[in-house]
Amino acid sequence: MNYSIDYKELYNTSPSGYFCSLPDGTIVDSNKKFLELTNYTREEVIGEKNFTDFLSLGGKIYFENVYAPALKLSGTIEEINFNFIKKDGSAFPVLINSVEVKDTEGLHLFTQSAVFNISQRKKYEQELLIAKTKANALSNELKEVNKELHNRAELILKQKLQLEEFNHHLENKNRQLSSFAHIASHNLRAPVSNLVALKDFYNENIDLEDKAMLFSKVEIVIGHLDETLNELIESVKIQGNKDIIHDSIIFEAVFDKTLAILDTQILVSKAVITSDFSEVPIASYPKLYIESILLNLLSNAIRYSAPDRIPRIHFYTEMKNNEILLIAKDNGLGIDLKKHGHKLFGLNNTFHRHPDSKGVGLFMTKTQIEAVGGAITVESEVDKGTTFNIILKKNRK
Amino acid sequence: MLQKLVARNNITIQGTGSKSMFLVHGYGCDQNMWRYITPQFKEDYRIILIDLVGSGKSDENAYDYDKYSSLEGYADDIIEICDALNAKDVCFVGHSVSAMIGVLAAIKRPTLFEKLIMIGPSPRYINDAVYFGGFSQNDIDDLMETLDSNYLGWSSAMAPVIMGNSDRPELAAELEESFCQNNPEIAKHFAKVTFQGDNRSDLSKLTTDTLIIQSKEDAIASVKVGQYVHENIANSKLEILETTGHCPHLSGPNQTIEAMKKYLI
Repeated sequence: MNYSIDYKELYNTSPSGYFCSLPDGTIVDSNKKFLELTNYTREEVIGEKNFTDFLSLGGKIYFENVYAPALKLSGTIEEINFNFIKKDGSAFPVLINSVEVKDTEGLHLFTQSAVFNISQRKKYEQELLIAKTKANALSNELKEVNKELHNRAELILKQKLQLEEFNHHLENKNRQLSSFAHIASHNLRAPVSNLVALKDFYNENIDLEDKAMLFSKVEIVIGHLDETLNELIESVKIQGNKDIIHDSIIFEAVFDKTLAILDTQILVSKAVITSDFSEVPIASYPKLYIESILLNLLSNAIRYSAPDRIPRIHFYTEMKNNEILLIAKDNGLGIDLKKHGHKLFGLNNTFHRHPDSKGVGLFMTKTQIEAVGGAITVESEVDKGTTFNIILKKNRK
Repeated sequence: MLQKLVARNNITIQGTGSKSMFLVHGYGCDQNMWRYITPQFKEDYRIILIDLVGSGKSDENAYDYDKYSSLEGYADDIIEICDALNAKDVCFVGHSVSAMIGVLAAIKRPTLFEKLIMIGPSPRYINDAVYFGGFSQNDIDDLMETLDSNYLGWSSAMAPVIMGNSDRPELAAELEESFCQNNPEIAKHFAKVTFQGDNRSDLSKLTTDTLIIQSKEDAIASVKVGQYVHENIANSKLEILETTGHCPHLSGPNQTIEAMKKYLI
């Protein structure tokens, strides 16, 4: 069917803007829509205006550096967004497609361009961009908040661990206090009972000689009572000192000091004393306590050596299960652990009728060790020897 | 080493000749810009073409925002490539911003370059109190907005898909055929570095024999700017062509070739 189409009229009334330019940019033709969009008359544009006259300076940079070269290299270019400037100087956003029209020999004759006004699209684009920026900002904010929450959770966990440690300390203290209370009542009970009995005898007795004898017995018991009370007070002092200042201890040095203090006893006993602190040469421990512990254990080892053999005493340090061990080994009289094991570290207990044994030494040593968070155990065989194993600080399991 | 550089800068070598001609494109496109020029020099020169890192088919992953925040980064690349190719007495041809890159490279290694040809150079685009670069900061901001809204076949969501994706070969093919399609983020950064730069003080340090080729009408690097460059380089000649536009090597290749040949005799 013949629709008698007037192409010129079609071109002129097209709903998109058309213009045609020479290779140097001079506009040689345009349709009505283009003139409407840019607000110019035909006379003002044709042969008068250049493509780049419709662009801002910023747009011109893009035109010269990207648009024109790409068009030259591939012959067409599409969907370029420019801001076109109207006659009154205001700008509107466009999408532009261009194509090079060449002759049969490939010579560039014209550039044909189609222009669409995208003002509405642009508004939508900008709204999208704003929304995208807001969303990104919100996402970043959430990341920050999340990080903050994570940090707080970590802090709370740390605090929980600290509280557990405090709880453990308090449990320890509680145990020590109740054991002390038990010991106190037990050890004070006996002499006080004695005194009560003597008092009764004293009151019943009329004889002066008997009274004098009773009173001298009372004096003896009071002496024992006084001594026991003093020892208990000493241990209370130790037990109260849980948060004790730790020093940097060089075992070798402290041990040498201990040897110096017991110089005479060592000479007399002819004991051979050796040490090996190479595996764990230093530790963090209260100085006074370690001195007291070493002194107590070494003096015990010398005191309770077997008379028929040369005393051999060896102190050393070891690392086991991430805990520092201090070990004191001797070849002395040994202890019958079956008989006395459960009373070994109690107060006022002696297993050998030795003139110097008072029986408070091991109690104090155990208290000191436990006060710092460690533990002491013993292995022994009668007439073979004894080994004391001290864990300086127990690992919390 | 050379293999790495070839991949990084998409180096292509054409022609035979004892002398080397090293052509570097300016802002916006890639080595395809020289396609009308190089055939005329293939017989006499070993022609070296590259894409600046971040442009064309160069290795995008090598675009270090710190290194390329100054033109020195690109100048170092030029020197590195010359050394790797064992090029001596190089004739360096730089368009637009690459003319300045050439200046910086020649200052660093004067014995490497025999001649410098600048097409549409500008040492600074933004006007100041006494200097006419042609643009204000507003104009450059305007350029940034235009860059923002023109992705030329890229889409920031799609781009990573395209770069590494073998199951959309038709997209890759599309990119292969299109020109001046550079990563939008990098293009923006490069634009900032180019159009907000100032290399005026470097001009006087250049001792290399220089030819400045200038279109008689160029909105980006006007004749005034060309003259400024000529006045500040001691050993220079200025040739104004009867061409329009910022890329005479594309829009007026014959005139450009003629000017180059006249100078290189």
